Amino acid sequence: MVDIKKIKRKLVKAGYPLIEASLKNGSVVLSGELEDYEGILECGTIAVCKESRGVVNDIRLKGYAPEKMRICPVEDKAYDGESPDVLVIGGGIVGAAIARELTKYALTVTVLEKEYDIATGQSARNDGMIHAGIDLKPSSIKVKYNARGNAMYPRISKELDVPIEMCGQCVLYTKRWQKLLFPFIKARGAKNNIPVEKLGPEEVKKYVPEPGIKYGGFMCPSAGILSPYQMTVAFMENAVNNGAVLHTDTAVTGIDNDGEKITAVRTNRGTFYPKAVVNAAGIYSDVIAEWAGDRHFTIHPRRGVEAVLDKKAKKATSAVIGKFVIKSSTGKGHTKGGGVIVTVDGNILLGPSAKETPERENEATVPEEFEEMIAKQFKLAPKLKRSDIITYFAGTRAATYEEEFVVEKSPVVRNFVQAAGIQSPGVTAAPAIAEDVGKWVAEIVFGSDVKYNTNFDPIRKRIPKPSEMLPEERKKLIAEDPDYGVVICRCEEVTKGEIKEALRRPASVPAVDAVKRRVRAGMGRCQGGFCSPLVMKIISEECGIPLDKVRKKGAGSEIAFRYTKGGDR
Amino acid sequence: MRYAAIVIGGGPAGMAAACAVKESEKVLIIEREARLGGILKQCVHDGFGVIRFGEKLSGPEYADRFIDEVYSRKNIDVRTLTFVTDIEKRNGYFVVTTTSGKGIVSYEGENLILANGCRERTARQVNIHGTRPAGLMTAGTAQNLVNLMGIMPAKRCVILGSGDIGLIMARRLTLEGAEVVGVYEAKATPSGLQRNLQQCLYDFGIPVSLKKTVTLVHGRDRVEGVTVSDVDDDMRPISGTEEYIPCDALIVSVGLIPENELAENLGVPIDPRTKGPVVDQYMMTAVDGVYSVGNALHVHDLVDYVSEVAETAGKDVGRRKSRASIEVTQKGFAYLVPQRIDAANVEKETTFYFRASHDTERAKLTVTINGKTAVTKKYSMLKPPEAVRVKLALPVKAGDDVKFVLEDDDDGNV
Repeated sequence: MVDIKKIKRKLVKAGYPLIEASLKNGSVVLSGELEDYEGILECGTIAVCKESRGVVNDIRLKGYAPEKMRICPVEDKAYDGESPDVLVIGGGIVGAAIARELTKYALTVTVLEKEYDIATGQSARNDGMIHAGIDLKPSSIKVKYNARGNAMYPRISKELDVPIEMCGQCVLYTKRWQKLLFPFIKARGAKNNIPVEKLGPEEVKKYVPEPGIKYGGFMCPSAGILSPYQMTVAFMENAVNNGAVLHTDTAVTGIDNDGEKITAVRTNRGTFYPKAVVNAAGIYSDVIAEWAGDRHFTIHPRRGVEAVLDKKAKKATSAVIGKFVIKSSTGKGHTKGGGVIVTVDGNILLGPSAKETPERENEATVPEEFEEMIAKQFKLAPKLKRSDIITYFAGTRAATYEEEFVVEKSPVVRNFVQAAGIQSPGVTAAPAIAEDVGKWVAEIVFGSDVKYNTNFDPIRKRIPKPSEMLPEERKKLIAEDPDYGVVICRCEEVTKGEIKEALRRPASVPAVDAVKRRVRAGMGRCQGGFCSPLVMKIISEECGIPLDKVRKKGAGSEIAFRYTKGGDR
Repeated sequence: MRYAAIVIGGGPAGMAAACAVKESEKVLIIEREARLGGILKQCVHDGFGVIRFGEKLSGPEYADRFIDEVYSRKNIDVRTLTFVTDIEKRNGYFVVTTTSGKGIVSYEGENLILANGCRERTARQVNIHGTRPAGLMTAGTAQNLVNLMGIMPAKRCVILGSGDIGLIMARRLTLEGAEVVGVYEAKATPSGLQRNLQQCLYDFGIPVSLKKTVTLVHGRDRVEGVTVSDVDDDMRPISGTEEYIPCDALIVSVGLIPENELAENLGVPIDPRTKGPVVDQYMMTAVDGVYSVGNALHVHDLVDYVSEVAETAGKDVGRRKSRASIEVTQKGFAYLVPQRIDAANVEKETTFYFRASHDTERAKLTVTINGKTAVTKKYSMLKPPEAVRVKLALPVKAGDDVKFVLEDDDDGNV
């Protein structure tokens, strides 16, 4: 039983006497207006209690007009009247994993992605860790899905031909006394079935040749890394090959509910009439939940910035380096403190930072947040140089006040399943979440008589990568298709053959950044300075798009305005 | 078959080096692009060749003279659309493995001439924050789009950096119908050649703002504007001076970085000042048989000198029997090339290139050998963007202590 009075008392005590708290749909709803965003966050945190379904924080920020959801300017009826068995809202790693899982059933599956491509939000803007889960609260939803997902990845990696590396995570103590806590860490590991190894100051050097902090630490060998956008693309390609349909540039604008179930989902491209709806809408998942008729949580965006370092810098570490952070109970400091990660592609990644922001879709980097982040991470591996940084990016994670995933078959809306509020360790958890979502959707659509897709093929082959092949293999590939011998992106040694194949794949998008995420053209030290004109030309030729209409990303990102000599050609 | 020299990069440096090798020796040029010429292919402006040919040529015209020479020479083989994936040093020769549409092919060469040019520093590499939309690009990429691809990447643009490519693009985009709002430079003085400032900016009324930089890029799909700020003497933005400038493109010309990943893999020591290899007067690096020329060695102002330096390397192929390199001590320069002298093969005159570390009205160059002054030279109006070429008679012997000092010369007469 939720004690609303107690929550109100707490709010008054914290200095928020004007904030209203009430109980609705099993959740605590806060309303009112405050002048600072921190106050809104504080109220949301105060309102968290085990007995409720969550906190719906409707406190307005004075003078702040919430940003409008970014929607592709296209408005037509292209998909009007489509009635798939299941509609998945969101083409991030969670939506893509769910789409693939759903194709294992005899279901028609459609995925809606509001952006021009899949994996453009959090799924492309995280560090790609397969978490061991040592820092997660025992018995949380997060730890449960994390453990299952972690165990699933070796098989998924084989099926989808996406490399993972179980390199382990080396957590460094920041204070000498922290080593005294090792028995507790070990005990927590045992409880969550996570192996932990003690590392003395010398043993650390096995993984981190020159650690910045010399008090030793511990090793979680079950941690690993993967490329989160490559994995998302692989999930989606396999889903599409198994019959799923992907509509990009398609944003949900409203949902009709007849009181017990969803009847229609409205978008900028027409209205859909699905039997079941899955909410995998990431940073907007609370908005989708509200429209669907079962809002019981609030997303408060948390921005993180990460820096990418030149591959030359990789000798600094072999494992992921993390810093031991004792979480405070005040609700602040919700990050593992980030780390130093060698990606599967051989770059070093530093970050992320964590900054609460009311803006869901602002992915601009901010100098202060960046400087603070790199100063912190450079301490872990002092050999790294600032001049090794080749780029940096920011993303916003979909945090709830409970700091918990919302993975459930809605108890309120009969045909609605939620995979919402997914932040770290979302990449790790995605395949496990997908399994459960698949079961629930099958129950909704089939009842007790679940039908499977007997033609489901779990295998997807990655785009051939000559730079990683043995000479004989490479020769054979070039003999079959000479384009695999022609290097376009010199920094990452990406060939014309790979770029053309990326454009022919299911779920492909003819945009420079979409090609980049699929084959890494433009991800090296020159950041596409040399290859972007060539990539544009290949997109133009391969997809029949005039050169002056080739885009970097979605609508409105055409790289050129016109031909210099006028006219079309 | 083993080549006397394998030249990596078919731009102006690589071609000049190849053509300078004696005709009795076999040379191979490996070029990753479809045609020889390197970055000159996109430099349609004029001003090339004044020193070398005594006339003003466009980049493609300058390149053509060398391309014609390369293809007329029976001792030079060319492989285009061919990319070096690996270089292995064996006993006395190198094995260069390449990929191309024809497959994986390895070539053997007694010497290597690295002429693989430089890359541009990007906006993120000079601390520009904000978004990463279409319309944010380096000047070289913009130049490629306009001059090679024939498309216009800007209608109203801001240019950051007063390096030569930035200045040339300011003019080029203006001529193609774009509005160049202004050129911003974080330093207190422009980085480009004086003639480019005059011909590309002043003649077109394009304003230059010094001690200002772009700090933020705005716009998610397309550049919508940039924030510029004043900077302090350490080039850090000063808060409170921000100004928003609406534009649809930000073109950055903020420096060139010699490309030396291949050299580093061969163990070639790099000079942190030039970011290119340490070389002797024949452009040979500290690794025997490996030469470095062109903008991979150091970023040149003029292609005429690129050709000249590269020819020094080409002529040297297969010529020297023994070497005795000594390091030159240098003080007061932004950089000095060569950084070593092969004392066993000193000719009557040795050519040096240097850049001053700051603007100086009067400066004095002193070279001492074992503490004794060998040469002094006086200069007026030295500026870091304008490299100085000087021929010096230095009778250096093995084991000598050679010191180059450049200092302000306050009361001297020039």
